[in-house]
Amino acid sequence: MHPNPPFRIAVIGNPNCGKTSIFNLLTGLQQRVGNFPGVTVDRKSGFLSHHAGFRVEVVDLPGAYSLYPTSKDERLVVQTIVNPQDPDYPDAVLYVADITRLEKHLLLFTQVKDAGFPMILALNMADTAAEEGLEIDTSALSQKLECPVLLVSGRSGLGIDALRLAILAQAQHHPANAPDGSAFFRFSPEEARIAAELQTGFASLNHYQRILLTHHAEWLPHLSSMQRERIFQLRERTGFRELPLQVRETMQRFDRFTPLVHQSIRNTREKVNSLTEKLDDLLTHQIFGPFFFFLLMALLFQSIFSWATYPMDWIEGGIGQLSHWIKSTLPAGWFNDLLSDGVLAGLAGVLVFVPQIALLFFLISILEEVGYMARAVFMFDRVMQVFGLNGRSVVALISGGACAIPAIMSTRTIANWKERLITILVTPFISCSARIPVYTVLIAFVVPEKTVLGIFQLQGLAFLGLYLLGILAALGAALIFRFLLKSSDSSFLMLELPPYRLPLFRNVWMTVWGKIKAFTLEAGKIILLISIALWALSSYGPAEKMKKASAEAAQIATEQNLSAQDAQTIEASLRMEASYAGHAGRLMEPLIRPLGFDWKIGIALITSFAAREVFVGTMATLYSISDADDALRVREGMARERNPRTGKKVYDTPTSWALLVFYVFAMQCMSTLAVVRRETLSWKWPVIQFLFMTGLAYLSAWAIQLAF
Amino acid sequence: MTAAGWKSGKPLANATIGSSGLVSHFTNERVAGKLLSMGVLPGTLVRMIRKAPFGGTCYIKADNILLALRKDEACSIVLR
Repeated sequence: MHPNPPFRIAVIGNPNCGKTSIFNLLTGLQQRVGNFPGVTVDRKSGFLSHHAGFRVEVVDLPGAYSLYPTSKDERLVVQTIVNPQDPDYPDAVLYVADITRLEKHLLLFTQVKDAGFPMILALNMADTAAEEGLEIDTSALSQKLECPVLLVSGRSGLGIDALRLAILAQAQHHPANAPDGSAFFRFSPEEARIAAELQTGFASLNHYQRILLTHHAEWLPHLSSMQRERIFQLRERTGFRELPLQVRETMQRFDRFTPLVHQSIRNTREKVNSLTEKLDDLLTHQIFGPFFFFLLMALLFQSIFSWATYPMDWIEGGIGQLSHWIKSTLPAGWFNDLLSDGVLAGLAGVLVFVPQIALLFFLISILEEVGYMARAVFMFDRVMQVFGLNGRSVVALISGGACAIPAIMSTRTIANWKERLITILVTPFISCSARIPVYTVLIAFVVPEKTVLGIFQLQGLAFLGLYLLGILAALGAALIFRFLLKSSDSSFLMLELPPYRLPLFRNVWMTVWGKIKAFTLEAGKIILLISIALWALSSYGPAEKMKKASAEAAQIATEQNLSAQDAQTIEASLRMEASYAGHAGRLMEPLIRPLGFDWKIGIALITSFAAREVFVGTMATLYSISDADDALRVREGMARERNPRTGKKVYDTPTSWALLVFYVFAMQCMSTLAVVRRETLSWKWPVIQFLFMTGLAYLSAWAIQLAF
Repeated sequence: MTAAGWKSGKPLANATIGSSGLVSHFTNERVAGKLLSMGVLPGTLVRMIRKAPFGGTCYIKADNILLALRKDEACSIVLR
């Protein structure tokens, strides 16, 4: 391996400065996407591509406006650059600024520079700048800011090679960190005193870093409680007042660097920003705006709902064939079963979600790239605030109508943790596509096939009702969580609406690829494990009972002279009854009896925890129906079922309604739970989610039985 | 800058659509901190462009950047 640790350069810049494009160009496909330690904020890193001998690690830090953060993402920048022990503590900083907004984007630059890091300033959008008539004197700017200044374009790739060379030059010289002073603001007496006092204990930090430490002592995670206490006392002793000092510092910085910008950039043409504003006259219009938004969302929904089914069918078909091949080629036995029914089924359960995830993120990241997402937030923020949600939650809730998994993964862009958590918790209430087969089978038991008012299919209306019930549950639960959950972050909107731009497909593909990788590798592990466990539960049981079941099936087959296939179907049914899942179903029967459910439904509840649509397959097995795709026959089998205790039909009206409502509310999806675990970094939230969703399902089903 | 109620002037949230003015000061320090970071300073020219469909949220232009602000955020910006 490499003997020396790599030279590490952090990419820092304001949101919408095009940082990610530059990062993608520098690192190419050799990047890793993960989390920053302890938080679910994407951490992207990679090595500088196209060079030999020297290792330069590039880390993409979240976009931030200043070192006085207001969101978790922004905090990461501060905590990385004031802690030399942080694994991402950089040797140098590549600062990316939008050249057309330089007089805003230099604030953070001057702050990071004062923290002592050797800097490289990349002025992005150089191509746009030329079109807009901006003339830049980079050497003058470079002299005044005391660092290399380069013109680049994340869109055309202009200047990237030069940037790469500049980074390599930095890495070879390994320049020392800058001295303690600041060229951009004068420390106040309190700040100077604190910086001097913190020499003991924080000798490896420079003066400005120590001032930042003092400002952010409340939340900086690497401080010990003793250090924190010491800083609090210092603040009190020196009369250090955070907000006024922050305002004073910021104003001084603007006063110093604004003239520098004006001296080195000349605007030869009158500023016209009109295209974006003209588009917004329509796209954020009071009436047309939301209309257009819902049109877009309909497209998004349609794509995950129906287009994704083709690749999903291929994946399921392909794995089905593979499993069939293994079954018939490998010697029969437990290993064969484990591989074909356990592992491959689990693998199918993971891969089948990939098309939906890919499509959703393809569309969402285009909307994000274009700049439209910020407009959606602007339009819906007020409404969503009522429910404790964020403007961006609308997209997650709508996508949840196809599948909760990509929907939950899409909440990463919600900066406020409480709003994001509530969105994650309530999204699975929205009826997803996996509930449709269950609804289809059960609705026929309660709603006659009849047309009302000439045009409305009664069953269709019932379907719609179930969807509305899910939406109501999601909003209601959000409202409850809004009051239950405490939040330390103050909630801001203050969102920049970036100019509309054509999407960069390089960035879109990178996002899609990163999301697919994260899902299959991280959530996939958990899904695979659970599905192997479920397989074992439903195919194994106490040895003698399983043997008896097989013998009984053989007897029935000979008595009734059944074909080989029918005999197999009967055996599968009897063996499932004798399996551990069957036992569990019987064991939980007293618990679900108040809902009108029998032990067979109990089995289906257990197996369909893998995914809701498994309900139909399990019913088919239990009622010895060879073809689970034939919903009509599954329904007939269920319709004949009678309760041996009362002699009444099991699927009478109240029970069917109870079961339907149960499936609207219950958290019957291990994959969703696995993704929630990944997105919240603890088992606490998926467990809470399971309990309140399934609890609500139980109580509502019970209420229905009582009401009839 | 600090909670100065004595200065006259009207909050941006009350500005009519299409009207503009120069920022005088801010009445909420937390909001001020964030707005300053984004480059909205005393003296910056701001214009109220529109309000969101469901009320409350403001779409404003400050110098050459476009911003969405909640009503209470826009309330704490006082125009000269």
